[in-house]
Amino acid sequence: MDLQEKLEILADSAKYDASCASSGSDRGGAGGTGAAHLSGVCHSWTADGRCISLLKILMTNECVYDCAYCVNRRTNDSPKAILTPDEIAGLTFEFYKRNYIEGLFLSSGIIVSPDRTMELMLEAVRKLRQVFRFNGYVHMKVIPGADQALIDQAGLWADRVSVNIELPTDKSLRLLAPGKTKETVLGPMSRLAQKITASKDERRSIKSSPAFAPAGQSTQLIIGATPETDREIIKLSEALYGKMCLKRVYYSAFVPVTKDSRLPALLSPPLLREHRLYQADWLLRFYGFKADELLDEKHPALDLSFDPKTVWALNNLDKFPLEVNKASYEEILRVPGIGVTSAKRILRARRAAPLSLDDLKKLGVVMKRAVYFVTAGGRYGGIKKESAESIKIKLLEHKNPNGQLDLFGEKELMKEGLAGTVTGQL
Amino acid sequence: MKTFLYDGTFEGFLTALSLALDSGDSCAISKETAAETGLFSEFLDAEADPRRAAAARSLVERRGSAESWQHVRFAFLSEASGSETAILEYVKLLAEKGPAADNMLADDRVKKVHGLSAKVGGETHRFMGFVRFKELADKTLYSKIEPDHNILALLVPHFRARLGTFNWVIHDARRNNAALYFKGKLVYAPLASAQIIEDVKEAEVRELWKHFFKTAAITERTNPKLQRQNVPLKYRKNLTEFD
Repeated sequence: MDLQEKLEILADSAKYDASCASSGSDRGGAGGTGAAHLSGVCHSWTADGRCISLLKILMTNECVYDCAYCVNRRTNDSPKAILTPDEIAGLTFEFYKRNYIEGLFLSSGIIVSPDRTMELMLEAVRKLRQVFRFNGYVHMKVIPGADQALIDQAGLWADRVSVNIELPTDKSLRLLAPGKTKETVLGPMSRLAQKITASKDERRSIKSSPAFAPAGQSTQLIIGATPETDREIIKLSEALYGKMCLKRVYYSAFVPVTKDSRLPALLSPPLLREHRLYQADWLLRFYGFKADELLDEKHPALDLSFDPKTVWALNNLDKFPLEVNKASYEEILRVPGIGVTSAKRILRARRAAPLSLDDLKKLGVVMKRAVYFVTAGGRYGGIKKESAESIKIKLLEHKNPNGQLDLFGEKELMKEGLAGTVTGQL
Repeated sequence: MKTFLYDGTFEGFLTALSLALDSGDSCAISKETAAETGLFSEFLDAEADPRRAAAARSLVERRGSAESWQHVRFAFLSEASGSETAILEYVKLLAEKGPAADNMLADDRVKKVHGLSAKVGGETHRFMGFVRFKELADKTLYSKIEPDHNILALLVPHFRARLGTFNWVIHDARRNNAALYFKGKLVYAPLASAQIIEDVKEAEVRELWKHFFKTAAITERTNPKLQRQNVPLKYRKNLTEFD
């Protein structure tokens, strides 16, 4: 099998991992080739609109496990391939110097044992770092069940490390991934969290001490293969950000790549649901929301027709309208149609002069949504007798000028212009 | 109305800026080659003068801030029509209001220059990803780009930091200008067209990349509109994977 065939098989098997980031590290320095850019760099976008920033491949798609959702399951008789450490390091370097990529994302099926798999992956990354003197970005998957010493090594070679949870509850894991348990996944994750925090602390006092996964760790959850609610998923993410200090949780709409009676028969991947989960995730990380504010036991699913911030605002109309010339940054962030950038711009601009409704538009606020929730200099531009229902109707008119409701379709997603969340870039 | 004409260089522009500020009237600034003739316009040549250029810079930094200076520099590199006069109006506002002018984000003069500057910064970041090198027979890495804005000098530090051990050329074919990095030394030189001889292994690596690119898309999620939003068609002709 030639290199091209191997690459095709191993890129094809790796593409269902949603993680694409090359951010969070500023590796670099004298000698050697490459550097990492703190905010990350996207190099291209594939036909599905997802960005390419790393050479995302598996070392091998052979696997001793038989997880029902996974394209690499043992009983799937697709062609198998394996790349040697030399091939992985060489390919990464050739792609990198042509500026095709920011670096390497290396994952793998489990060959022989978790330890043996980890050893081979580490050898590839060690070669890249020591023989090619490569200072670009490396994201390494940690193989659940591998020895602690091997996991620790991954953190020393890589910028980012990740262990995929994939299925949000232990019950679902047992059902679809008989080789894995909650413990085998969360064990290495919490070990990594400790090491990352410890290394950060140490580097604060001794700058020369080695960095451990300076771009932190991430994970992925598959959406729609098992019956978990959005509330369960978002609560889990909140806990992961809080307790495990994760940098990112990725959500991957389930694509039925294998046939199995335990899996739902989906016609198409639940992309709109995935999109709403990313929006909710952003609200947790950048907007100061708590999971319980967005979803409760009575409403465990995210609304597909409105973004979660709009839903929250409609349920909390007593807090609105907000006077943009007086409200705090935290309050302004909670207005639908105002993002982090425009909230900061409002704070900056109002230092120079009081803002009018027209000014808000110039600052980049999406007024067709914000208009119902703000006043500027005491002036309100929304409808006079506002109620959650009447605002909903108005908002829907904007989305569907023909009066046609297409709540679940692709159209809706495109109109919002936010389909970019497939890469998490909201 | 007076229009100050400059030679197209940044120094020439800053000289014109300084002259226009001194004249006190309502003025315009334009490149010699782009000036529109008007019945009531009066044209004045602003010959590049390093002392005046330095004075203009110092005014921007003194009355504004380092941020204001960056906006002036980036907005100039946008090469957008009317950008020179827009910068003049912005600098007048800086002179009047001081650093607070940069907070007046809803003011059209500030919005215009900040906007141009953001476009240039945005395209620079995009091209950190879109530059594609080919390895030539002598192992030099060669890249051809055709950006909307004159971002070559803004891209160079990024590639110097990561490809410092190679010799490379980034060729702005739209402006017939190139950055040449050879044995650790950087020079800019005019370059109209380049005759290149690829390394024997180049085609093979290119094919590997194209196959990887094609394979990485998930068929069930196909979304050409989103792809176009992220990689506009105008950029594709120099991107290996869209050949």
